[in-house]
Amino acid sequence: MLEVKVEKRLKSFKIEANFRVKEKEYVVVLGRSGAGKSMIAKVISGIERADRCKVILKGKDISNLPPEKRRISYLPQSNTLFPHMSILENLEFPLRIRKEKFNRRKVEEIASQFNVKEILFKRPSEVSGGEVQRVALARAILSDPEVIILDEPLSSLDFLTKIKLIDFLKELKGRRTILHITHDPLEAEKLADRVLYVERGRTFYFESWKDFIERARGELPQKIKEFFPYRQQS
Amino acid sequence: MKNPKWLYLLVITLTIICLTFITLPILNVFISLDPENFKNTLKDGEVWKAIFTSLKGATFATIVGLIMGVPTSYFLFQTESKYSELIESVINLPIVIPHVAVGITLLELLNSNSPLGKFFSHLGISFVDTIYGIIIAMCFVSISYTITSSLMGFRSINKELIWTARSLGASPYQVVKFVILPLAFPYILRGAILSFARSISEVGAILIIAYYPITAPVLMYERFEDYGLKSSTPIAVLVICISLIIFIILLSISYRREKRIA
Repeated sequence: MLEVKVEKRLKSFKIEANFRVKEKEYVVVLGRSGAGKSMIAKVISGIERADRCKVILKGKDISNLPPEKRRISYLPQSNTLFPHMSILENLEFPLRIRKEKFNRRKVEEIASQFNVKEILFKRPSEVSGGEVQRVALARAILSDPEVIILDEPLSSLDFLTKIKLIDFLKELKGRRTILHITHDPLEAEKLADRVLYVERGRTFYFESWKDFIERARGELPQKIKEFFPYRQQS
Repeated sequence: MKNPKWLYLLVITLTIICLTFITLPILNVFISLDPENFKNTLKDGEVWKAIFTSLKGATFATIVGLIMGVPTSYFLFQTESKYSELIESVINLPIVIPHVAVGITLLELLNSNSPLGKFFSHLGISFVDTIYGIIIAMCFVSISYTITSSLMGFRSINKELIWTARSLGASPYQVVKFVILPLAFPYILRGAILSFARSISEVGAILIIAYYPITAPVLMYERFEDYGLKSSTPIAVLVICISLIIFIILLSISYRREKRIA
């Protein structure tokens, strides 16, 4: 279980996030650009500080731990493969920093699962956008986190690659707790066990995509705002 | 929008003039070189000794510059305060001070009767007319290049790469070791190359604080003063050749590293 209570004053609004995520759930964090989704993710992963913050993971308060000790892997929006390393070196990075014994078999196994074994000796600049995201995910899994936060992982991909990667992400469901940030309702529809809607820093929790749509009374998600007061989780 | 033809021609013309301005004096010195004179220079022990002193001084000045400069630029990269701009201006001061003035200020500070000079004398280090004086003068006039270039390197790193590394489990030290320094390395190397180049060519400050042991530029100046162009040109050609070889090697390493990261 991941419990989050965050308060942070931004220039134009205040973030007041309050939600719980069950273990190994796939939660899609939906909201418009600039709603505060990424900021909440950064606070949870320890990259940003908040005015008030309580992050409890599996009953342990990790609010004051540095990012590397939280066991929350945050994948930012842009290409975050280390450009000076090969794909293989990128995958080995989490093992290398934990000073784990070089385990080529483990890396190759994960690389096979994520369909990136053929590109192990290439540089990040030589592979496609979809492959970059798959390598980033594989690397996150190798860091053995409890929670993976994907910040707009599909936003820079073309439609076909996006569809392929959505199928791929479906296979990750049930293996790790995942917070998937997006402004695209398609991703929420295809992937979400639960939906967390963010509007000007406030979080609204929905049991499922269906629940979210029902509450929206058939309107577009952007207009869902007026229904939120009835669904805010305490 | 397409540039007008006259603008294109003007830019091309100015580029050609600029390249000619840079290369013409260098090419001319090679053309006007008397081969016999050059042969004699190659056999001149004093010339080689001076070149060796210059290379030794510049190498140590660059190393000292890197040891002090890279942490300074990392500190500036990490701490964005209202004083950052002021500190950056101070760092660039050696570039704007006339180099003879640098020599005078360093001599004022480090002569054997000054408190700092006395302190170093106790450690067996004197700066007047020694290799230490040459290194200090070279380091002073060149350190700004190392700091500025390293700072550019650190600032060019996508912050999201640093966040990713942290959230993958890397400690701040590991992030510096495995991510920040390798990514900034081409910039640091380029700063070091510029510092080395600046150090090799320094003459004004060295003339004041450490005329001896004689460096190549000081020897060139001395020969020019005593015997004229004929005597100083072969040394200039030799120094240009050695400098070009060193810079081509170092720059190719820098470009190769940059290409790996791009």
